[in-house]
Amino acid sequence: MIETTAAPFPTIRLRPWLGIAATAAAVLATWMALVWAPTDAVQGDVYRIIFVHVPLAWLAYLAFVVVFLASVGWLWTKRPWFDAVAASSAEIGVLFTGLFIVAGSIWAKPTWGVWWTWDPRLVTTSVMFLMYVGYLLLRSVSTDFERRATRAAVLGVIAVIDIPIVHLSVLWMDSLHQLPTVLRAAGGPALDASMGMTLGVSVLAFTLIYFALMAERVSIERARQTRVLEARR
Amino acid sequence: MSAFERALLVAAREIAAERRHPDGLVAALTFTALLVFLESLVLGPGRAREPASASALFWIALLFAATLIANRTFDRELEDDAIDALLVIGGGRDALYAGATLAVGLVLAIVAIVGGALSIVLLDLSVSLAGHLALVVALGLLALPTVIVLATLLALRVRARVALVPILSFPILMPQLLASTQGAAAALSGDPNAALGWSGILAAFALVYGVLGLTIVPAAIE
Repeated sequence: MIETTAAPFPTIRLRPWLGIAATAAAVLATWMALVWAPTDAVQGDVYRIIFVHVPLAWLAYLAFVVVFLASVGWLWTKRPWFDAVAASSAEIGVLFTGLFIVAGSIWAKPTWGVWWTWDPRLVTTSVMFLMYVGYLLLRSVSTDFERRATRAAVLGVIAVIDIPIVHLSVLWMDSLHQLPTVLRAAGGPALDASMGMTLGVSVLAFTLIYFALMAERVSIERARQTRVLEARR
Repeated sequence: MSAFERALLVAAREIAAERRHPDGLVAALTFTALLVFLESLVLGPGRAREPASASALFWIALLFAATLIANRTFDRELEDDAIDALLVIGGGRDALYAGATLAVGLVLAIVAIVGGALSIVLLDLSVSLAGHLALVVALGLLALPTVIVLATLLALRVRARVALVPILSFPILMPQLLASTQGAAAALSGDPNAALGWSGILAAFALVYGVLGLTIVPAAIE
């Protein structure tokens, strides 16, 4: 049995505050990244792109882990809210993964001398991007609501295997990409304190942007689901 | 009848259907042979003979061959609504997934043996560690059908299924493809430790995909 009238979703009350907090954090992160953080002794100002690149990578992982959790939720309970969360997070995840690859490419040109190289991290990230494009494609070709949600959920559960592969690919294979700097198995972050703080604020700002976008997108998806399910009655 | 017996029954039925009309097997064999010829034509016999190139092309050929076989298998299931009859039986979903995986795996093994022999003979490959190569191929073949059948079931009865199956399954199979290619290249070039190391990874992926598939895929079959 599919639930058609859900209890009011808490993000409706949180939405304006999330937007305000995300904007404020983004302004602060921009100032810290461009002005406050010192210039890198080796890379110069080019390194500042990590304040965008790393949070985008984090959001890509976060978004796809949310897809996984929401997919498990749908398979377990069959509540449409979980499907709405999975669909929304997959779309936002694809967007952020695309930006993550583009930001990395912009950094690679002055640093490595090329826009693209066949590095394991770059390739596995691109495959992850295409995997979730496939997920969205699967959603778009199925017309029946329950069937689409179930099929997408199965794929959402299986596809999460790719996330550790992307993160650990630089350790498992010969790679040009630098090793993990923040989430390291051995010791704390290998960053200057002010750079680390700026990165922390950037990650927080991007995470708030993710949740603000999620709140909007889930609300749209829930309205669409209600229309579809009520039309079916 | 136990779940295992039901799966074997479905697999036996699929194999019998393939024996009567071996269009899936013939298509997969033709495709694999075509790829071996095209590889040596495009790369040149010298480069095509390199262990890394030969094993990469072999596994990519098997990936596409697996999608052809799986699509043909489920085309047969959809004809005359045979799949609907199977699904009304208790435990039919698990049997369908496990049986189809087994059947696709067996047909794919034939394609791997013929395609592998063709590559070895035509490209004049020297196999330094035949036992290790057989182990890598056997373990590589275990993981392939679990994911290909999963993707085919997810795309069942949707538009553009043939295009969707590789899009959904190949990214998931990325680690398997990498391990099987590296393992086969190591076996060809005589590196036993690397071949065994990659074989261990292949066994782990086959186990993970198999268990995941049996746990959640039946839920996706309507």
